[in-house]
Amino acid sequence: MRLKTTILAFLLLITSGPVLWAQQQRFPMPEFESGYQYPDAKLPGSGSLAMEYFDVGILVLLLAVTSWLAIKKRSRKWILLLMTGALLYFGFWRQGCICPIGAVQNVALGFSDPTYAVSWFIIALFLLPLLFSLAFGRVFCGTACPLGAIQDIVVVRPVRVPVWVRKSLGMFPFVYLALAVLFATTGTDFIICRYDPFIGIFRMGAEFHLIVIGIGFLLVGMFVARPYCRFFCPYGALLKTTSIFSKNHLSITPSQCIDCKLCKDSCPFDAIDHPTDPKVIGKMKDKTKHFLLYAALIPLLIVVGGWAMSSAHIFLARANPDVYLAHLLVRDPSVMEDLDNLDVQTFLGSDRTVDELVNDATAIQATFRSGAWFTGAFIGLVAGLFLVSQFVIRRRDDYQPNRGDCFSCGRCFKYCPVQK
Amino acid sequence: MDIKDKIRTAKSTAVVAGAFCILISLLLLLNYVQMQGSDPLESTVMETLVQRLAFEPNNEQLKQEIRELDLLARRAYFTSIWQIRAGGYLLLFASVILVVSLRIYHSLLSKINKPEEEDEDQLAARILSVKWISGGTGILVFVALFAAFTISDPLEIYFARVPDDPEEPGSIRQITISDAPPRTDPVTEDQTAAAPDTGHEQMQEETASTPSPEPAAPSGPAGSATPAASSAFPDENTIRRNHNAFRGPWGQGVIYHESVPAKWDGSSGDNIIWKVPVPLHAYSSPVIWDDRLFMTGADEKVRKVFCFDRHTGNLLWEASANSIPGSPSAPPRTTDDTGLGAPTLTTNGLAVFAIFGTGDIIALDMDGNRLWAMNLGVPDNHYGHSSSLLTHNEKLFIQYDDQNSGRILCLDVRSGETIWDITRDSRVSWASPLMAPVNGQWQLIAKGNPIVAGYNIDDGTELWSVEAMGGEVGPSPAFGGGLVFAANEYSKMVAIDPATGSTLWEDNYYLPEVSSPVYSGGLLFIATTYALVACFDAKTGEMLWEYDTDDIFYSSPVIAGGKVYATDTKGTTYIFEVGREPVLVAKNPLGEEVHTTPAFADGRIYIRGERNLYCIGQ
Repeated sequence: MRLKTTILAFLLLITSGPVLWAQQQRFPMPEFESGYQYPDAKLPGSGSLAMEYFDVGILVLLLAVTSWLAIKKRSRKWILLLMTGALLYFGFWRQGCICPIGAVQNVALGFSDPTYAVSWFIIALFLLPLLFSLAFGRVFCGTACPLGAIQDIVVVRPVRVPVWVRKSLGMFPFVYLALAVLFATTGTDFIICRYDPFIGIFRMGAEFHLIVIGIGFLLVGMFVARPYCRFFCPYGALLKTTSIFSKNHLSITPSQCIDCKLCKDSCPFDAIDHPTDPKVIGKMKDKTKHFLLYAALIPLLIVVGGWAMSSAHIFLARANPDVYLAHLLVRDPSVMEDLDNLDVQTFLGSDRTVDELVNDATAIQATFRSGAWFTGAFIGLVAGLFLVSQFVIRRRDDYQPNRGDCFSCGRCFKYCPVQK
Repeated sequence: MDIKDKIRTAKSTAVVAGAFCILISLLLLLNYVQMQGSDPLESTVMETLVQRLAFEPNNEQLKQEIRELDLLARRAYFTSIWQIRAGGYLLLFASVILVVSLRIYHSLLSKINKPEEEDEDQLAARILSVKWISGGTGILVFVALFAAFTISDPLEIYFARVPDDPEEPGSIRQITISDAPPRTDPVTEDQTAAAPDTGHEQMQEETASTPSPEPAAPSGPAGSATPAASSAFPDENTIRRNHNAFRGPWGQGVIYHESVPAKWDGSSGDNIIWKVPVPLHAYSSPVIWDDRLFMTGADEKVRKVFCFDRHTGNLLWEASANSIPGSPSAPPRTTDDTGLGAPTLTTNGLAVFAIFGTGDIIALDMDGNRLWAMNLGVPDNHYGHSSSLLTHNEKLFIQYDDQNSGRILCLDVRSGETIWDITRDSRVSWASPLMAPVNGQWQLIAKGNPIVAGYNIDDGTELWSVEAMGGEVGPSPAFGGGLVFAANEYSKMVAIDPATGSTLWEDNYYLPEVSSPVYSGGLLFIATTYALVACFDAKTGEMLWEYDTDDIFYSSPVIAGGKVYATDTKGTTYIFEVGREPVLVAKNPLGEEVHTTPAFADGRIYIRGERNLYCIGQ
């Protein structure tokens, strides 16, 4: 029966994908011959200030209440309720924008572009989850994040992901973060938002590939819990880093662990660290040379990463609309006569000349060259640290949530027989 | 409710919710497929109606039909959108029920199991992690370096190659200016001789009365027309001895050679002097100057001009119309029956001028060296541009009607600079202009939709205009007896006095669709796409005779040696006497399809078939 119901869910999600895609069709404007003047296209205005205050207030409330529920109250039931409420509000009502995950890019662009003003609202969204994670762990992921919530709800039969897979894929959010910052600081694109896999579901419509990706994440998420949070989310990389240093993190047991092992498989996210095997500690001591070797390699990895990414700056810069257009026009000037090329025709309709475009594109490429170096260096550093961390082992005598990976969802509470 | 009942309830709810989800999904998919399969605005019916409206702008019933179809399409679309949105919400709601019931079901079945011993070797897992992290990092570096070494920076060379004063896209790019003297090959007597027959006599009389205007210096760029250069242009007698444009001298469809072949058979080779494969397909016709025959070819990739030795069929040179500033990277969409090489080129004996469906126009000297080239802007023409070129002294005339506007340009043959450029009250057309003497002055006469008009060749002033055409204007006008004739399928045939701009008569019994009418000896001849040739009295419009042929006509009939030469699409040329009775002189098969109009030289006919170029004579 379990298999059947799971297959049923599969069919549902697969068949519903194209339906959402279909909503992306657009109808051409009617043609009039009577001199009818089309009204000017209007963009939706920015949200009201009151709503911004309200959103920040809701976020603070959610983070605070979740912290209390996770650390003091220890109630999975209330956490689940809060998570559902946050999903409905931040996800379906506010349609997933703006969120702290995307705010990373606004903040990054604000640092690089003095003319780009980052509102206090965005800064608050960006900082609040980080500050709370520094104090109480990833409580934002536990309830307030709509992307995490929608994945959390569909977890039906989680499977254990091997350690080496988790460790390897765990590096990707840092790579994603580095690229997102690069593209944001160069004014190229907000790739986190552009490839948000769940925005199409929240808004009941998106481009086909986004719907497919979103459905794919949910399908995989039925078995590999929260795949986006664990292996993709760039903001999760930051939260993971700050959460490691959290002082008041959720604990599995409310008191002293009795090492009953009942909770060891309770976390669908594989975020429970097991007591350290003394034999492993002994063997790790033999790996000191490896530790030193990989530690020494970190500077090399930084340089190689920076050099490689910097070398690829032309490739990366082509994601920028100006650079892309400049390349197109310089490689093939006759494309200016291609009336079907909307990019080119829009450019020709503007006041800019090709020289100006090429100058701007050249400057952007130069920015990419230096930016890509830092991006590559950061990736090299992360890779080095990930490698070195494999030869570091901390002694643990009981089962503890991994402070970096734990989403503070509270699933493990009911597995602990220890009472306060 | 005990645990079993709860499990059963959760299970049943999940099944019902799942089935509902699938049902809604299927309905939505069905809706989606229907929307994809039937897009009324892209339908053939809508396209046809809109195209018809372009030619019948005052047809209120047609407008109403389009409005109703458009309204129907919008209603269907927005209804579908509503259905999809409503269905989407239903699907979301059912999905929530399904997920919740599944979770409840699984949580009721789950239990805390007895803990098992550690089953994963922590040390081995860490070693494996090192390998995968190292591998992943290596892959990232490899991808970055691969991208670095395979993608170059085109901007590096941009400023190096752009001159200080870069030409604007679409502007004239003058490669070189030829000051080559005109050819001075001796002209034989028979080449200048006039046709002695009745019809041709009439034409001769008209020609004799034709003024020999030496137009005033054009209002072109200062110094662009030097006396020496002007004196190099061929005179009218020289032009008559050649076939320098579509339908011969001045585009009138009248050939001035007396000796013209009357019998041949392409299949048997009878009277076929030579035939050579057409190097590149196009629907343009050949033109001739002295010993050389020129024609064009075009496809999606290349546009070319070819020059043959007309006596031997040897290809003397070919020139590509490439690297032209402003030329589109992707050629405009055209239909297979028009293509990118439909316009016929022209020559003045000093240079050859060719235009293509891309809007590229190129001037070559008689040896194939490029003089200048430019792009006029890609014509918005749903079949493809097909109007042929005409040249007169220092002027090159281009009828350039497209969907945006009617337009005629006059360029300086030596530099490509614009002498005049007018827009006219006309829509897209496929006809070619002709030149004719009216009141002692040469006029450029061009058809369009809906006008037939005459233009001052010096400044482009519209001298007269008659709204007479409709539909898709393909056939070119005809001139003779002091009258202009214009005819078009789905419209009518008219005779216009260009001196007064008045219509003398009109008729719509038989009309040509592609092939152009031709005048000779007070008679007007047309060849139609319903496989017949008809003759009318040019003064009254009375139909004198009709002759059913084996196939339809795209090629235009030509008057040569006092006879009418009309070639159907099967390649059979029907030769009639110019007379008030239908006298078929000969019926000559070529053995392959022909859509072009033959070119004539003394004692020779050159026919471009679909595959081969034929030289006919004895």
